[in-house]
Amino acid sequence: MSVAEKRPLAEASHVMAALQRIWQGARLNWATTTGAVIVLVAIGAAIFAPLIAPYDPIEIAIENKLLPPSAEFWLGTDHGGRDILSRVIWGARASLTVSLLAVVIGVTGGVLIGLFAAYHSGSWVEQIVMRAIDAIASIPLLIWAIAIIGIVGVDSVDIGPFTFTNVHKLLILIGLLYMPTLARITHAVAQVEMTSDYVKARRVQGAGNLAIMFGDVLPNCLSPLIVQATLLVAIGIVVEASVSFVGLGVQPPTPSWGSMLADARNYVFSGEWWLPVFPGAAISLTVIGFNLLGDGLRDVLDPRRSTGRLLT
Amino acid sequence: MLRMLLNRLAFSILALLFVGLLLFVLTRGVPGSPARVALGLEATDTQIAQFEKDHGLDRPVVEQYIRWLGQLVLHGDFGRSFVTGRSMNALLTETLPITLELVLFAFAFAVAVALPIGVLSAVYEGTWIDHAARIFAVIGVSVPGFWLGLMLIRFPAVEFGWFPPGGFVPLSDGLVAHLQSIALPAFALGVYYIAILSRMTRSGLVETLGSEYVRTARALGLPRGRVLWYALKNALVPVVSVGAMSFGYMFGWALIVEYLFNIPGMSNALLTAVGQRDYFTMQAVVYVFTIIFIVSNLAADLLNRQLNPKLASAQP
Repeated sequence: MSVAEKRPLAEASHVMAALQRIWQGARLNWATTTGAVIVLVAIGAAIFAPLIAPYDPIEIAIENKLLPPSAEFWLGTDHGGRDILSRVIWGARASLTVSLLAVVIGVTGGVLIGLFAAYHSGSWVEQIVMRAIDAIASIPLLIWAIAIIGIVGVDSVDIGPFTFTNVHKLLILIGLLYMPTLARITHAVAQVEMTSDYVKARRVQGAGNLAIMFGDVLPNCLSPLIVQATLLVAIGIVVEASVSFVGLGVQPPTPSWGSMLADARNYVFSGEWWLPVFPGAAISLTVIGFNLLGDGLRDVLDPRRSTGRLLT
Repeated sequence: MLRMLLNRLAFSILALLFVGLLLFVLTRGVPGSPARVALGLEATDTQIAQFEKDHGLDRPVVEQYIRWLGQLVLHGDFGRSFVTGRSMNALLTETLPITLELVLFAFAFAVAVALPIGVLSAVYEGTWIDHAARIFAVIGVSVPGFWLGLMLIRFPAVEFGWFPPGGFVPLSDGLVAHLQSIALPAFALGVYYIAILSRMTRSGLVETLGSEYVRTARALGLPRGRVLWYALKNALVPVVSVGAMSFGYMFGWALIVEYLFNIPGMSNALLTAVGQRDYFTMQAVVYVFTIIFIVSNLAADLLNRQLNPKLASAQP
C-alpha cells in the first residue's frame, strides 16, 4: 500500500473531531451534500418501502401487463403487470441489504484482522496474517462470487437453527472478499499508531492491550475506514446487481434491480423502454450517491490519499 | 531489484497455489458427488463408486489437488470435465481468445480516451472542460457497464440498427462485421475505466504541474508543450500501475458484459458450467481468471516499482 496510508492522523482527536470535520466538509461541498441526500433517499426507500410503494411489488396483475408510464403507474408495469415504481422502491431494500451488510461484515473482520496483525507488529504472526490477506486479495471478487454461488447453489441452506437464503450467502461472501482491503488499511494505520507516544503513555498508565487497541488505536483508524467503507458500498451495489442479473443473486419474485434488468433483457427488441431504464437509473443514482459521499468524505477525513482509487 | 522480483514472483506462485487449493476444497466440499451429476439420478451406488474410483474422486482432496496441479504444471493440461467429458484445454482455447480480445479492445479504448480527457482536464483545471470531465468521471464509475450495455442494445443497436444487438462474429467472417460485433461490448466495458484512468491522469498531472520543477522549467522559458510532456511522464506513473491492475479487474466485468451480449467467451463457459453443476469446468475457468488477475497485479506492482524508484528503495 502507498506510503501516504502509513501516515498517522495528526492527533489523537477521535470520533467527535471526525464527525465535526464531516459536518463542516459536507456544508462546504455541494457534491458531498448531493451524495448524502441520494444515500439518505435510497436508505429511506429501503426502510419505508412497505409504506411508500404504491402497489404490491410481487403480486401478479396480468391485466396490467407491460403498460407504459402513466398517471396510474408512474414508471409503467412489467410483464406480470407489476408496478415498476413499487419494484424499484423495494429493490432498494435488496440492494442495500446486501451492500451495507457486506460492508459491516468486511469492516468487522478487516478491523479485527488488521488490529491483530498490528498488535503482533514485527513478529512472524504479522507476516503470516498479512501474507494470507495478500493471497485472499488476489481473488477477483465478481468471478468468485458467481462461482461460489454457482457451487453452493441458490437454494436456502439450513445450518443449525439458521436459514441462509441466497441473499445471505451473497452478502457474507462479498463481506469476506472485502476483508483484505479493510484489514490492510487498519493494519497500516494501526501499525503507526502503535509506535506513537500516546500509546506508550497509555501503557505507562497501565491500560490493557485490548483497551489500547480498541479504545485508542481503533478510533484513529476510523477516518480511512469510513471512506473506504462508503466506496465499497457503491461497489457492492453493482456486484449485487450483476450477480442478480445473471440469475445467481436475489431470487424471483423478490424485487431487485439486477433481476429487474434481467427481465428487461427479454424485452429489448419489443420496445418497452421503461423496463430497463428505471431499475438501471436507480442503480446508477444510488451508486453515484455513495461515490460522491465517499469522495467527499475522503477530501474531508483523509485528504492526502490520492483521488481516483475507485477500483473494485 | 532482482531479489524483489523473485520475492514477488514467489509470493504470486504461493498465492496461486493457495487459491487453487481453496477452489478445489470448495468444489469438492459440496454435498453430492460429481459422479451423481455425471451419471444422473438413476445410477446405482456401485456405479457411482466405480466412477469415483476411475476418476480418483475417492482419494483425499489434497491428493486430488496435487494430482490436478501436477497435470497442469507439467503438461499444461487442465484435464477433462466429468460431466461433459470435454477437454478443458479445448474449451479454453475456444473461449479465452474471445474474452481476451474483448478486454484488450476495451482496455485500448479506455486508455486512448482517458489520457486526453485527463490531460485536458488538468491543463484547463477549474474551467468548464474540467468540470464536465469530472462529472463524466463520477457518472462513469457509477453506471454499471451491463446496464449501459443494455441501453446500447436497446437504442443504437435495435432502434437505429447501427450495430448487431448481440452475438459474436468471428474475424473469419469479415473484419467490419467482426469489429461491429465487438464495438458495443468493448464500449460498455471500457467506460468505467475511462472514468478511473482519466481521473487518475488528471489528479496526477494537476499535482505535477503545480510542483517546483515545473514552475522552474516554465520560468526558464521552456516551451509549454515540452514542459507538459515532462510533467505528463511523471504524472503517469500511478496511472500505469492502476491501468495494469484494471486490466485484471476488467476480466471480471467482462463476464457480465459477455453474458449480456451473448458472446461465447469464458463467461459463457463459466455460466453454462454453473447451469450444469459442472464443478470441474467452473474450477478450471475460475482458476484461469485468477491466474490472469494475479499476473496483472504482479505486472502492476513491478511496473510501479520500476517507474517509482522511491518506492522500490523504501520497500526492499
